[in-house]
Amino acid sequence: MTETLAHWAEVFIGVFNQGGQVLLSLMGGILPTLVVLLTAVNALIRLIGPEKIEGLGRAAAQPGIQWYPVRYMVLPFLAVFFLTNPMAYTMGRFLPERFKPAFYDSAVSFVHPILGIFPHANPGELFVYAGIAAGITTLGFGLGDLAVRYLLVGLVVIFIRGIVTETITRIMLARKENA
Amino acid sequence: MDGINKILVKIGRSVGGVVGTLYQAGRDSVDTTIRNVIPFMAFISFIIGLILATGVGERIANGISSTADSIIGLLLVSIVCAIPVLSPLLGPGAVIAQIVGTLVGTEIGRGNIPPQLALPALFAINPQVGCDFIPVGLALGEAEPETVEVGVPAVLFSRLITGPLSVVIAYFASFGLYSSN
Repeated sequence: MTETLAHWAEVFIGVFNQGGQVLLSLMGGILPTLVVLLTAVNALIRLIGPEKIEGLGRAAAQPGIQWYPVRYMVLPFLAVFFLTNPMAYTMGRFLPERFKPAFYDSAVSFVHPILGIFPHANPGELFVYAGIAAGITTLGFGLGDLAVRYLLVGLVVIFIRGIVTETITRIMLARKENA
Repeated sequence: MDGINKILVKIGRSVGGVVGTLYQAGRDSVDTTIRNVIPFMAFISFIIGLILATGVGERIANGISSTADSIIGLLLVSIVCAIPVLSPLLGPGAVIAQIVGTLVGTEIGRGNIPPQLALPALFAINPQVGCDFIPVGLALGEAEPETVEVGVPAVLFSRLITGPLSVVIAYFASFGLYSSN
């Protein structure tokens, strides 16, 4: 009887010992780099001034096929980088109504792919990336390759997402007007 | 004398400005770290501890690793996460994506999921990103109520297409990533 209890007590405290070790490795591993990097990028953003990208927002509002990559790749990237989550979505105010859902979709889909290289953009949700990246670190591989590919594929995906959502929005708006 | 004074004041001001900015940036980053990052680390550590130390976690982990260890399984995960009724429920705070990401990461670390699948997995666990936040996000962009009415379903339906598509793109982009040779 007491042996079983003692066993359970060990299992119980074992969970927290194990968790504590994980916490220590996270705080010793990612955290110091993160704090320094956040400081540097935050300072850079303050020195440049986030209002500088507003001109680009106005340019991205124009119709025409050449503005698609600006609207759904460049603008979301710069908005997420400089304004971070959730203020990045305010850049939508420069766009006409029919582009707004697509821009939101595009921008919000980029708040995680950017984390591998620029974690300042969304530090509260770091573990979408860091959780999987931790497994790669355990295996002894470098993270650079994964982080760069995540960012690049992210850019392709938000571009496609912007176009698809813009098309769906246009169809739905047309239906609504006919009804 | 006046000229020198002016130059000195100018230098002093700009140096002070830069130092002040850096200091404020440091304060901001420590603030974010303590408020947002460390609490999540504590929470994630508890979950990992539970997985590593108990058999119950083992079973959940087995389920995850047998689903997420192939591209078909990952596509399945992305389709489930993109279902328009489910996606707004799975979205808030990216908590689900972060927990599943951590579980998948743990399994990659143990060798149960091949490391090249890390890239498609990052997209498979996340087609629901921001689906809980569409009306607020559109309001931040000063959208009209009519736009919100159309925009919410438009984004949700779009994810059903672009969610699985992103996994496929990531799969093809992951060739040569952490391959054993």
